[in-house]
Amino acid sequence: MKNIMVLLFIFVLSSAAFAEKPKFLEHRYEYKLEDVLKADKYEKKDRYWEAYTGGKLVGYILLSKDWTTQHVGYSGKHMETLVGFDTKGTITGVKIIFHAEPIVLIGLKEDNYDNFIKQYTGKSILQGMSVGNEIKMDAITGATVTAVVQNAIIAESAKKVAGTAGLIKYAQQKGHKLSKKFDTLTWKELMDTGAVKNILVTQEDIGQQGGKEPYIDLYFGLVGPPSIGKNVLGERTYAEVMESLKEGESAVFIFSNGPGSFKGSGFARGGVFERFNLEQDDRQYVFTDKDYKILTDIATKDAPVLKEGGVFIVRSKDFDQSKPFKLKLIIGYRSSNEKKFKPVISEYKLPDKFMEQ
Amino acid sequence: MSLDRRKFLKYLGVAGAAAGTSMLVSEGIKTKEKGAIGPLTAEAQTTTPQKHDYEVKPGELDAYYGFWSGGHSGEVRIIGVPSMREIKRIPVFNMDVATGWGITNESKALLKGRFCGDTHHVHGSYNNGVYDGKYLFVNDKLNNRVARIRTDYMETDKIVDVPNIQGMHGLFTQRYPKTEWVVCNGEFQVPVPNTNPSQKPADYNGIHTVIDAEKMEIVCQVLMDENMDLAATDYGGRYSMTTSYNIEKGVTVSEMLGSDYDYMLVFHWDRMKKALKDGKYKVINGVKVLEGREGKSDLTIRIPVPKNPHGINVSPDGKYAICSGKVSPTCSVIEIDKIEDVFNGKLKPKDVIIAQPFIGLGPLHTTFDGKGNAYTSVFIDSTNVKWNIQKAIDNEKLPEEKKKNSHIIDVLDVNYQVGHIMATMAETKEADGQWLVSLNKFSKDRFLNVGPLKNECEQLVDITGEKLKLVHDSAAYLEPHDCIIVRRDIIEKHVKDRYNMFDNPLAVTKSGVERKGKKVTVRLTANAPVFGLTEVNLKKGEEVTVIVTNHDEISDLDHGFALSNYNINFVVAPFQTKSVTFIADKPGVYWAYCTNFCHALHLEMRMRLIVT
Repeated sequence: MKNIMVLLFIFVLSSAAFAEKPKFLEHRYEYKLEDVLKADKYEKKDRYWEAYTGGKLVGYILLSKDWTTQHVGYSGKHMETLVGFDTKGTITGVKIIFHAEPIVLIGLKEDNYDNFIKQYTGKSILQGMSVGNEIKMDAITGATVTAVVQNAIIAESAKKVAGTAGLIKYAQQKGHKLSKKFDTLTWKELMDTGAVKNILVTQEDIGQQGGKEPYIDLYFGLVGPPSIGKNVLGERTYAEVMESLKEGESAVFIFSNGPGSFKGSGFARGGVFERFNLEQDDRQYVFTDKDYKILTDIATKDAPVLKEGGVFIVRSKDFDQSKPFKLKLIIGYRSSNEKKFKPVISEYKLPDKFMEQ
Repeated sequence: MSLDRRKFLKYLGVAGAAAGTSMLVSEGIKTKEKGAIGPLTAEAQTTTPQKHDYEVKPGELDAYYGFWSGGHSGEVRIIGVPSMREIKRIPVFNMDVATGWGITNESKALLKGRFCGDTHHVHGSYNNGVYDGKYLFVNDKLNNRVARIRTDYMETDKIVDVPNIQGMHGLFTQRYPKTEWVVCNGEFQVPVPNTNPSQKPADYNGIHTVIDAEKMEIVCQVLMDENMDLAATDYGGRYSMTTSYNIEKGVTVSEMLGSDYDYMLVFHWDRMKKALKDGKYKVINGVKVLEGREGKSDLTIRIPVPKNPHGINVSPDGKYAICSGKVSPTCSVIEIDKIEDVFNGKLKPKDVIIAQPFIGLGPLHTTFDGKGNAYTSVFIDSTNVKWNIQKAIDNEKLPEEKKKNSHIIDVLDVNYQVGHIMATMAETKEADGQWLVSLNKFSKDRFLNVGPLKNECEQLVDITGEKLKLVHDSAAYLEPHDCIIVRRDIIEKHVKDRYNMFDNPLAVTKSGVERKGKKVTVRLTANAPVFGLTEVNLKKGEEVTVIVTNHDEISDLDHGFALSNYNINFVVAPFQTKSVTFIADKPGVYWAYCTNFCHALHLEMRMRLIVT
């Protein structure tokens, strides 16, 4: 019952196509449940364990591959993670079971990965564990994709189990349908209603010369409601994006100006956008180049200048456009030739007027 | 947000995508651009937002895809307009050792061992007078072939050989209701069939060919006495038209210049279809050949134009075909709606010419801005001439001394000696009058001197104003002839980032080696930074087929497969499969390696072929 051993080298591979992946980049580790939460009894539940000490429930343990296999790292593979947390939602331990992240290529060792993982212990899954805020990237500087995806795996898996176990309650109200109505709206109207949100980070904010000049001046919103999407993207791009969506998928637009970049360059080789993701309730949405369509022009009269932009498709059907979500942005910059990151989180709530009443 | 900030951000403005939205330009730039934007810009219907600046800054995208023929390089090129950056070279009739075109089994099957080509005219498939963004078609004047390029992958997918002709010159696609036919011309008259070398030139023939655009098979040919160079189709799905400069059937330059007039020829499609249905054809070299010769056929008419004409282009309103004079300094304006009356015997062929304005010395090709103006390339004068079509027609009624060339609006010197000329969307009914490219045949002193053999010089001209404004020179490798310039929105929605892996029955999902007698099949996956096998053991003399599938899904992550000392290289794009077959005739250890940068460990991506 206790100390469940998992055999080394059980490769459960999703498809034969990837059977020849290089072994030198693959790391698989033994684990025991007590590695992340000490207890004297572990009781198997549906896709997680309850931990008991002296007959008293002390916390929960989970394997990320039971919850968040959609999150894959730079390697294209899920980082299998063992996570334990107590009944208050505080992380008691995290252990990597398997990963194929090529951190060796940027001069990092497994120790660095371990150090990154260690900082989760003691963090609260209820209060948030955002990269750049509660979670620092210093240990694996440069492996931004790995850090962001690893964070999504831990945070989302833990939140889902916490939800299942009753630690977190999410509003259960049914989502509203989006209004199909189209009104021509000016940029000011879109901003005033909250249909488009702005994130402005000035040079001063990141300790650079240049005062109130923007380092990044970013705008984002939902594409779906015609009065937003059609006004911002223009008739043609809106139609193309909407036609490309499969049942249950949705899209957001993001564009910015200023010297900073929200796209970064990680997506070019790694395929993953490592500088931003969405969060809704217990779910994290990370984007890859397959979810991306370049946006080069904003159709709205009086819209700010676009330096870089994109439409990003949320593939998961569990994203509810009528409910609030967060855009979590990690703004990269250099200070004294060192890579630095400034995290910014902005909440978006679709105004009622764009929903069916 | 603060509007002030935009001023120093040098905003150039975007037009709303919705119909009727006007050009938005920030204050700072408005003054600078004033007058540059023509009064009819708003006519550009539901188009891509336009930034009317030829400079495309880092991170910005061009507003147009330009599809260029590559002449005797045998390829097709994609040029971004207005930046004039070469974005891609599509190998068609040539061998391309970078991508493996002509090296892989798949491309060899299309090329059949012929790696010389001479592409002249690229035209797109149409739906109701505008490109549908599906295919491009291009001719090979040298080996008499037509190739099709599918725009989703931007690669050649079919090549059809055209028998009974030589010097396949003009090519054009059906514009209405959609492209079912592609027509092409034989410029060099030859014996048909070409089985009797002693046949006299007077008995040679030219041939007009119709190809089925979907099947890429020959529908029929029309046997003519005349030669045919440039081709066009009308906007009503009724006719194909060509120019002919050698009605003399001459075989020397002086003989070809003998007659004072030559022809613009018109082919009647409904009558051709009926003749095919009625079985009025001979089969020559497997092709149905219809009779089109003068006095023997009602499928064709001959409109006499001044001798040795060249280009033929149809105005975007579908009303006029304009025949450029070449050795005559004029263009002939033909009213297309009158052509049917010539076929019916109600009008004489010459009566469809409604104007013959003076243009300049050596007019070759004409393009349009959709506002009633024509732009003709003038070779000997080395100019682009902007003229108003209606004015030229009106002037025709005036006495000679009153004409005073008032149809000519502006003349721009170009550097040097222009051949083709093309404006944005000009070969569609959505011609938008934004940019024009002058494809000049000589670059001379326009670039750094690179030795006796120099590039061509292509010049970008802003045509939004009354006057032509030269804004950019770009060098082009040998030797584009013609191009089309297509709005970005028409093309980009069709273009894919990765192949559909299982469209190819050869796709490798598991690496391995299979032997059948002396034949060995090596199946390889490529996943950065490894091939699916680390070594393959072969016996000398075995026939080896290597099949490689790129399993990396990330866009733009290509892999190469190159085999040392075996003269083999090809590239597979994401999810693409290609194969190559060779004889393992050299014993020893041979490294195969990835040639296309893929990974930080790209250099380590290699494997051994051990031949014993």
